[in-house]
Amino acid sequence: MNAPKTQVTKKSLWRNLNKPLASVKLAVFIIISLAVITAVGTFVEARYDAYAAKKRVYDTWYMYVVMGLLVINLTAVMADRWPWKKRHAAFVSAHIGIIVLLVGAYLTMQFGLDGSMRIGIGENNNLVQTAETDLVVYSSFDGDRYSKTLEQEVDFFSHPPTLAKPFEIPSYEGKIQIVDYQKYVIPSRRVVAGEVGKSGAGLRFQLQNANVNVIEWLVQRKVGALATHNFGPAKIHLGVAPPKSQGENEIYLTPDKEGLRYVVFQKDQEKPLKKGVVQEGDSFDPGFKMSLQFRVLRYLPSAIEDWDLQNVSAPTPMTTSAVKVLFNDKEQWVLLNDMVKLFTNNGVYLLTYGNRRVDLGFPVKLKNFAVTHYQGTMRAMAYESVVEVPDLGEHVISMNEPMKYKGLTFYQASFQEENGQPVASILSVNQDPGRFLKYLGSLILSLGIVLLMWFKHLDFKIARKAQKEKSV
Amino acid sequence: MRTFILAVVSFLVCWTVNLPALAATGEALKGLPVQDGGRVKPYDSFAREMLEIVYGKSKYEGQEATEIVMTWMLSPQAWQDKKIFEVRNHQLLEALKLPKDQRYFAGEELFANDRFLLLRQELQAKRETKEKLNPYFQALQRLENQYFVFQEVAAGRMLKVMPPAEGTVWIAVADLAPEQQEKFVTMTRAFIDSIGAKARGENTEATGAELDKAVKAFEEYAHSVNPAMYDQGGKIRAEVHYNSFHPFRWAYIFYFIAFLILLLVWTLDKESMMKFAWLFLAIGFVLNTYGFGVRMYIMGRAPVSNMYETVVWVAWGTVLFAAILELIYKYRVILAAGTLVAAFGLVIADFAPAVLDPSLQPLEAVLRSNYWLTIHVMTITISYAAFFLAFGLGDIGLIYYLRGENKYQAQIKAVVTGIYRSMQIGVAFLAPGIILGGIWADYSWGRFWGWDPKETWALIALLGYLAVLHARYAGMIRNFGMIVTAILTFSLVIMAWYGVNFVLGAGLHSYGFGAGGVEYVSAFVAAHILFVIYVAMIRAGQKKNVSAG
Repeated sequence: MNAPKTQVTKKSLWRNLNKPLASVKLAVFIIISLAVITAVGTFVEARYDAYAAKKRVYDTWYMYVVMGLLVINLTAVMADRWPWKKRHAAFVSAHIGIIVLLVGAYLTMQFGLDGSMRIGIGENNNLVQTAETDLVVYSSFDGDRYSKTLEQEVDFFSHPPTLAKPFEIPSYEGKIQIVDYQKYVIPSRRVVAGEVGKSGAGLRFQLQNANVNVIEWLVQRKVGALATHNFGPAKIHLGVAPPKSQGENEIYLTPDKEGLRYVVFQKDQEKPLKKGVVQEGDSFDPGFKMSLQFRVLRYLPSAIEDWDLQNVSAPTPMTTSAVKVLFNDKEQWVLLNDMVKLFTNNGVYLLTYGNRRVDLGFPVKLKNFAVTHYQGTMRAMAYESVVEVPDLGEHVISMNEPMKYKGLTFYQASFQEENGQPVASILSVNQDPGRFLKYLGSLILSLGIVLLMWFKHLDFKIARKAQKEKSV
Repeated sequence: MRTFILAVVSFLVCWTVNLPALAATGEALKGLPVQDGGRVKPYDSFAREMLEIVYGKSKYEGQEATEIVMTWMLSPQAWQDKKIFEVRNHQLLEALKLPKDQRYFAGEELFANDRFLLLRQELQAKRETKEKLNPYFQALQRLENQYFVFQEVAAGRMLKVMPPAEGTVWIAVADLAPEQQEKFVTMTRAFIDSIGAKARGENTEATGAELDKAVKAFEEYAHSVNPAMYDQGGKIRAEVHYNSFHPFRWAYIFYFIAFLILLLVWTLDKESMMKFAWLFLAIGFVLNTYGFGVRMYIMGRAPVSNMYETVVWVAWGTVLFAAILELIYKYRVILAAGTLVAAFGLVIADFAPAVLDPSLQPLEAVLRSNYWLTIHVMTITISYAAFFLAFGLGDIGLIYYLRGENKYQAQIKAVVTGIYRSMQIGVAFLAPGIILGGIWADYSWGRFWGWDPKETWALIALLGYLAVLHARYAGMIRNFGMIVTAILTFSLVIMAWYGVNFVLGAGLHSYGFGAGGVEYVSAFVAAHILFVIYVAMIRAGQKKNVSAG
């Protein structure tokens, strides 16, 4: 006799506990909170960019708390109405649909891949760039062979390092610290003198005639490497000259004890056209038919590239982000997707800061890329990439016509132009393990809404009747 | 009464049937095919768009755009001192050192001004930073465009009248081969004779016929150059007809008449007049649908790709939903609200061409050839129609509250039922619409949900209405609350529909972006919020009195 009674009380106790969680008032609160938070997000996006909106609003603990509350509330209200009757079909399926949809979204967030891939026409690429940023350090003690000593995901946007609270990088020798982070900077290059023997040479030159005036920096990546500037009719190199002409108009400038030794080659002649030595401030005529003057404005036997940064309040297509590296009391800025070399007495560290690149394990080759325009305009009507992947062979990817391959989907996202001609295609590459659940959830939710229209008035009548009885 | 209906119907039939015949002599020039903006269109549309860009209206001092724009090309110097450039931004006028109380300026005032050159450099520098342009720079950009358009039209480089024998780019007047030039000049001579006769107030019958003949001869010649490219089927004629007929203008006139009749029915309590209300509503609806169909025929796609087209589509939806709800509930007030807001929407679309661009434009690459795209936009915007109806009902509801809550209890109940149903319809379209948007995004971008502002604001609007419906279910709001929220929540729809493009200006949906009208829309929203507060305060005062008494 007693057993069923305790069961009843247990059940009602559970119900009473569940009641506040299942309250419609809580639902209204959650819905309004979601609306307010996302509205703020859109304003952040308009002021800054999508990445900032994601980091500050959509991808934050408070958003997840509200989402979590939503799932609890949806579940609790369904539990509260148990056992379900026919008229509950609508709201139950609408609520289950939302939960399934959110679970799908969670799977995508945790296990999905969402990146982009730039492929030049005729080139291969196997790396997909994602929004996450990594810090990678390679170390070398003979200056030749590097081994990866650190690879760590960093989120400086949300947790910027400061001088007081730096980001420490473990190192054998010396102390590497990231002491500053700037979100939106417009960089301009600056070249400063470095320690002789540790870094390559730097040259600032001017090429001038009646029609041309080019002033550029050439900086060798490392000692003895070739740095090149191509200005169209001729190429300027800083590095060791080959013995014979390569069939182009070229000027080679080689760092030497006496200064810069120059060699000029002409397109149609194997032997050097001219040779000589110049110092900083000197100029010479290379002897091309264009009556050019070549002037050495600045010559640094050892040069380091650094950046002058201009801070701006909001991102534009010209801005990037940068971190400040402090090593052996010397500070240096490193831009996103760039690297820096740090020298110790015995070795070298190579530090890179940039977006994560995920290796697909197979190359994607862009065989061709075509833009079609609306008649008589430069307005793009459609664009498509002809790509080649192993197994599948050639495949056309166009707007709204993605390629599916090895669980990945490749979409035509955009393209790059130079002088009005497309030079590269940008594909977005996705893997979405939550896709099935998202579609399933959508289907259940939509079904629920249709049923809701059907049952709503019925539900309402009953509710009102109950209320009336109560008040009576 | 039956005779009256018959008379109206027969008048309408005559009027629409006679329309093609209205293309009087001298009108053939309007139908001259030209290539512009990525498609072949009648010269009529081209001229209207050019005048719209420069002058902000499709007529200049009562004269047709087709005449004005042609004379820009034939005698540009005659236009030097005419005030044809519209400048509205006060900050820009200040920068140009021009009077701020003036709206139209002559080319010599603006462009001979040294300041203009300086400002252009300023704009160029701003563009190089790739920052978003603020209203001042947008106005400056518009001015630069006005200058460019006028110069190019005057130089004969804008008007492309001759298809190429090969390729896709038509040949502009300035680049015509000598023998083609000759043909074109023959036509322009006839044109000059025709406008000359018109200016002198003579009978234009003869000169008009002459012009038509010349246009025809030119068209025949151009057709022989590249028949495949020149042939546009009936689309050119349809577009000229669409331009002159203004189906949406007639639609709102009929909607408004229907609304006035409903007002009479309401105030005089004359049930017998309901028939007329329905009749005018039906005519308006047919015209609305017709205009929609013609646009679809001309562009070969569903016309929901810019603000103007969605406003027309929403007006259509409001009337449809109002009619359906009216047939079920027979409250009259629903139909009144529906006709009122539909007419309001179409009037706005008609009078603000700078904000709501009525011209027919080809689709951006991202939007092309996608079935799901069209479906998701149509589904989402039709839900706005239902919310718009709820909004209109909310306004009417507030008026009832002002006139006496107790006296009009039955009417208020009807209004609230209408609001509740409209919101349900809206939610039932909006939620699947957003999901369809996700499916489309997944299909073409690989992202089901990417927090794109347009989609996000559609979601915020949905959340707003869901909050209202749940609050109602929980008993948190009652009749007055429903009326208030019908008005206030519609602000979210305005933000999703208009604000994202014109206030936020970010995201994937940037193809629809423009500027302008923000002050009016804000004033509209603010006025309604004030109205709500006013009624709420009055109501609170009355309640206090009642309880005190």
